Amino acid sequence: MRKFYLLCFCYLFFMQMASGQQTNNKLISGNFQQATIAQFVNGVESKSSYHFYYDSKSFDSLRITLQVNDKPLETILDMAFKNTEYHYAISQNLVFLTKGRQIKTDLAEGYLETTTTAVAANQTTTVADYTDERDKKVPEATTENKLYEIGIKTNEIKPGSSRLSGYIRNIKSGEAIVGASIYVASTKTGIATDQFGYFTIILPRGRHVLNIRGLGMRDTRRQIILYSDGRLNIELQEQVNSLKEVKISADKVANVRSAEMGVSRLNISSIKQIPAAFGEADVLKVVLTLPGVTSVGEATTGFNVRGGAADENLILLDGATIYNPAHFFGFFAAFNPDIVKNIELYKSSIPEKYGGRLSSVLEITNREGNKKIFTGSAGIGLLTSRLNIEGPIVKDKTSFILGARTTYSDWLLHLLPEAYKHSSASFNDVNLGISHQINDKNNIYLTGYLSNDKFKLNSDTAYSYSNKSLVLKWKHNFNNKLYSVISGGIDKYQYDINSTANPVNAFDLGFNINQTNFRADFTYYLSNKHTIDFGVNSILYNVNPGKFEPTGAQSLVLPQVIAPEHALESGLYLGDKYDVSSKLTINAGVRLNVYNYLGAQVVDNYAPNLPREPVNVIDSTSYKSGQIIKTYISPDIRISARYLLNDDLSLKAGYNTLHQYIHLLSNTTSISPTDVYKLSDSNIKPEHGDQVSLGIFKNAKQNTLEMSVEVYYKRIRDYLDYKSGAVLLLNQHVEQDVINTQGKAYGAEFLLKKTAGKLNGWVSYTYSRTFLKQDDPNAGELINGGAYYPANYDKPNAFNFTGNYKFSHRYSVSLDVAYSTGRPITLPIAKYYYGGSERVFYSDRNQYRIPDYFRSDFSLNIEGNHRIHQLTHNSWTIGVYNLTGRQNAYSTFFTEQSGVISGYKLSIFASPIPFINYNIRF
Amino acid sequence: MNTFLKCLLYITLATIIISCKKPYNPPAISSPGSYLVVEGVISPGNEITTIRLSRTVKISSNIIAPESGAAVTIEGDQNETFPMGLDSAGIYTCVIGFGISKKYRLRISTADGQQYLSDFETAQNTPHIDSVGYNLTQNGLQIYVNTHDPNNSTHYYRWDYGETWQFHAKYFSQFEVVNNQLVIRSKQIYGCFASDSSSNIVLGSSANLKSDVIYQNPITNILATSEKVETKYSILVREYALTGEAFNFWTNLKKNTEQLGSIFDAQPSTMSGNIHCISNPNLPVLGYISVCSTQSKRIFITNLQLPNNFFATYPYDCQQDTVKLADLPTILTAPPGIFDITTQISKNGFLVGYFITTPICSDCTLRGTTTQPAFWK
Repeated sequence: MRKFYLLCFCYLFFMQMASGQQTNNKLISGNFQQATIAQFVNGVESKSSYHFYYDSKSFDSLRITLQVNDKPLETILDMAFKNTEYHYAISQNLVFLTKGRQIKTDLAEGYLETTTTAVAANQTTTVADYTDERDKKVPEATTENKLYEIGIKTNEIKPGSSRLSGYIRNIKSGEAIVGASIYVASTKTGIATDQFGYFTIILPRGRHVLNIRGLGMRDTRRQIILYSDGRLNIELQEQVNSLKEVKISADKVANVRSAEMGVSRLNISSIKQIPAAFGEADVLKVVLTLPGVTSVGEATTGFNVRGGAADENLILLDGATIYNPAHFFGFFAAFNPDIVKNIELYKSSIPEKYGGRLSSVLEITNREGNKKIFTGSAGIGLLTSRLNIEGPIVKDKTSFILGARTTYSDWLLHLLPEAYKHSSASFNDVNLGISHQINDKNNIYLTGYLSNDKFKLNSDTAYSYSNKSLVLKWKHNFNNKLYSVISGGIDKYQYDINSTANPVNAFDLGFNINQTNFRADFTYYLSNKHTIDFGVNSILYNVNPGKFEPTGAQSLVLPQVIAPEHALESGLYLGDKYDVSSKLTINAGVRLNVYNYLGAQVVDNYAPNLPREPVNVIDSTSYKSGQIIKTYISPDIRISARYLLNDDLSLKAGYNTLHQYIHLLSNTTSISPTDVYKLSDSNIKPEHGDQVSLGIFKNAKQNTLEMSVEVYYKRIRDYLDYKSGAVLLLNQHVEQDVINTQGKAYGAEFLLKKTAGKLNGWVSYTYSRTFLKQDDPNAGELINGGAYYPANYDKPNAFNFTGNYKFSHRYSVSLDVAYSTGRPITLPIAKYYYGGSERVFYSDRNQYRIPDYFRSDFSLNIEGNHRIHQLTHNSWTIGVYNLTGRQNAYSTFFTEQSGVISGYKLSIFASPIPFINYNIRF
Repeated sequence: MNTFLKCLLYITLATIIISCKKPYNPPAISSPGSYLVVEGVISPGNEITTIRLSRTVKISSNIIAPESGAAVTIEGDQNETFPMGLDSAGIYTCVIGFGISKKYRLRISTADGQQYLSDFETAQNTPHIDSVGYNLTQNGLQIYVNTHDPNNSTHYYRWDYGETWQFHAKYFSQFEVVNNQLVIRSKQIYGCFASDSSSNIVLGSSANLKSDVIYQNPITNILATSEKVETKYSILVREYALTGEAFNFWTNLKKNTEQLGSIFDAQPSTMSGNIHCISNPNLPVLGYISVCSTQSKRIFITNLQLPNNFFATYPYDCQQDTVKLADLPTILTAPPGIFDITTQISKNGFLVGYFITTPICSDCTLRGTTTQPAFWK
């Protein structure tokens, strides 16, 4: 576009050349459309003998549009600078352009009469910007000491407020910075960028200092004068000197000022800081260090948030739902630490745009590729290696990022006893991200993810699982007030087991879940008091709950296929962030969930008020494909409020309700690789949960110390538990084996974070309890006779310390300490002789606990030299996982050995595990 | 499906590579009262029906508490009753014969006045065992069973077994001490027979198969170095037909007492069987009473049939010591069970002393019997 104007200008310029006048007093003609100062000056200079002097920086936001025919320079300049604070002074053939103040070309005389005229027209009407939005060049604000002018300049600032919006990006890679905060001290207002690095803030017109902080970015400020609504893109510099720094919140004031509660944000550099079992940064393990998050033990796939089950967490990777977020049955997270940018865990204030899970939303955001240069990194560890490359496809417009990881853990398996020596295991994952900027108002993002796990036992039983997803997002800015994100995608999770060990029983067992998502999210900045979010989203589920088939000619296995399930889960939401006063902010939202269980399906009808058992099946109804079998409509309420007691102390409260329509059928303590998902249907009700929480938040020492205390109480209804001896896989009538369970959870979470300085990190302590109870009158035999019993992940006391100390820019050490009460376990209370051996008799569930858990991990991070311009940057991480070698019990169990029952304790990572990792960036 | 579960177990085991298993002593667990345990199979026909009654005991206890003094009766659905007699501590037996009843149940009244009753179960015909065989594995052999039901109606099976094997002591003891005198041993204690019965639950199902065929269902494993296959080994496999409910009961019992210790353990729970306390419905009763005939098959495996690597390792560390003739009196006067004298030591044709060893190395009767079982051939 700019080029076009330049051409226009040139053309006009040459046309004018002939008639151009050569003397100072000659009249000048010209036609300037949105000309920059340089274009304007060149145009005038070439048509006259005038020579201009000006500071280009001060004029970079000026655009001149005027058409003049044979006018003296003074007139032209008067017209050009009308209503701005620019001035000119003409001395012979020298022209001085200034901003703010005027240069006097004559000696000061007492009754001086300047040759220049300061134009000062009082603007009484609203400043309107008639230029087409897309023609405007949004200024890139890169320096701190410059004053950026936003909007149409007027020489007098009109009272009232205007809207400033734009993107915050990384100056080096052009990548959007998510969750960066802008804080305006003068008005005590703050805002954070969204997932695209976009922000909109409403400020009183006038001069402001914007304080900007971004994850892994150098803190900075920008000075602006806001004349009218306008845009400003801010580029931030990376914090190159401190490559490893524990930071858990982007937003130093957000702790106190945001209305959200129970939200934790971590960027990858703090994740990389935390020692992991095999040396490779583990996104999911870090989540476990946060208050309110527990797990049933080491190396488990799931995590439990505030008393919720592991399947009650929605794990989103750039908008794609990940059903199995772990490799190798829970030993590694399925997310590549070189690609992940940051994670956000919502424990309490779950934004109304999310639904469908009861406990939490874990949002994992991957980086965008570098828009400016090709870069990459690689890492080598004991069990895994990874590589990622990124770069521009079209410079400053389109970029890609590609990351891949693989394992070579077979050597470990070969160390096993003979029986497992011939086993093999492998996993890999691939991430691809493409982002393209169509123009200032439209961006598209394409992300793909693929993870595979394979395990083969003694070359006859093969087990594999995989996640696949593809998401396409389109972000469109209608105007400064309204923008939308439309996205669509597909997610697939499947596993497969086949065995040929016994030719007659040779089988192939498969499960898969496919979902197609569509969502449209809109954000509307209604006024400086209201920000409205609204939208709609839908998920179409196709679940194949199990297919059991023969393999090989000799196999007598009867093919067994559980009928596929289909459902449509939709949500319509509306939310408002309402700044009632400078002290009180309320986020209120409502989400209407509509769930349709769809045919084709044959559904059994049970006699009312009788246990769901085969004898009580009255009949069954057959539904055609696409026919609605059952609809559940349920509204969710999400409210949170913040009241600022003073600048660094606030009170927050929240209440939310949630519904869940997809259930993981699992009667094991931790998620097992053969667990299947079941959709709610006529016989299995959706799970329902609500939570009320209250918190006090305090910042101290220039916001470098953050403190919070949060308490919550949560109710869970219709969570699924199972009858004794329930069969969950390949069960045609799962409803006969499940029992509706009610739950309650409460707790207090204390968190102290230090976000800056040589020593940084966080300490958290959580007291929490989680109880479940079966009170389904139609269930028959109830666990613990229908009384409350502690859930598997009920760990009342949990303490965590995560700290990093920087000795120098090259050396830093990290220490991670975790303590928790042992999880509940069911112990036998008696034994007897049966079937040729001693057997044990279990009584009430979860009445005992395994010994308390304690673990400390240590790592030393060594950076190569810090010269920015070198071919590769490299770093080493050396450390020890479980430093004290404590044999933490994963479980205790009683089992028969030669007819005698004995008790055993199973420990995972039962000795100190040293690790080393080499990372290279290029 | 069983194979599938096993695979899962193996996967699990492999993931435990970086884990360890240590003995665990639980905290003091408060034990409730002891509950009645009922075990057995009602066998219509001429077989002896054996019902074993016992009580649960504390985890720390080492005793089995048989329940004698109960009145046990088998009842048929055609109002037949068969009272059972106490055979030995807690063991009640009777022969039902071929009655007119199709269903049977068990009624028990214990000495403490409680009444127990099992559900009526239809008598099932257990199919014949087609064959019992073995496959060589990497470190030994695996005994398997083949069976099928031509009527395609059984689907669920349970097996138990009794093993008998011939074995030898490490050293041949030629002499014995009688009245402090050294005499030639009157009864050999070198070669013996030992036996054992199954202690693990063996189940099989053809419910997922096109026809009711059980092919090579593993029964037990024997290590190549085991004494069991040192000379000759015999196994008697007994087969019982189960109902679906009984199969679930046994599966659950197996899961909760034999297959724990993986990362993906199911929540342990005790599944109630088909016996109820009718005088106090809240009182737990353990066990499941099936009604079926029993089929059995015995096979023999001799060491000669097996590859060369089947070579038994003596289960104890054994050495011989020498006793000079002069020191012999100390041996002769030693209390019995400390030393056994094996053979003479001669030098240039003169007796100079004896080899001695510990009884466990020379006396097979400590671990078996010299009496050949009647079925041995």
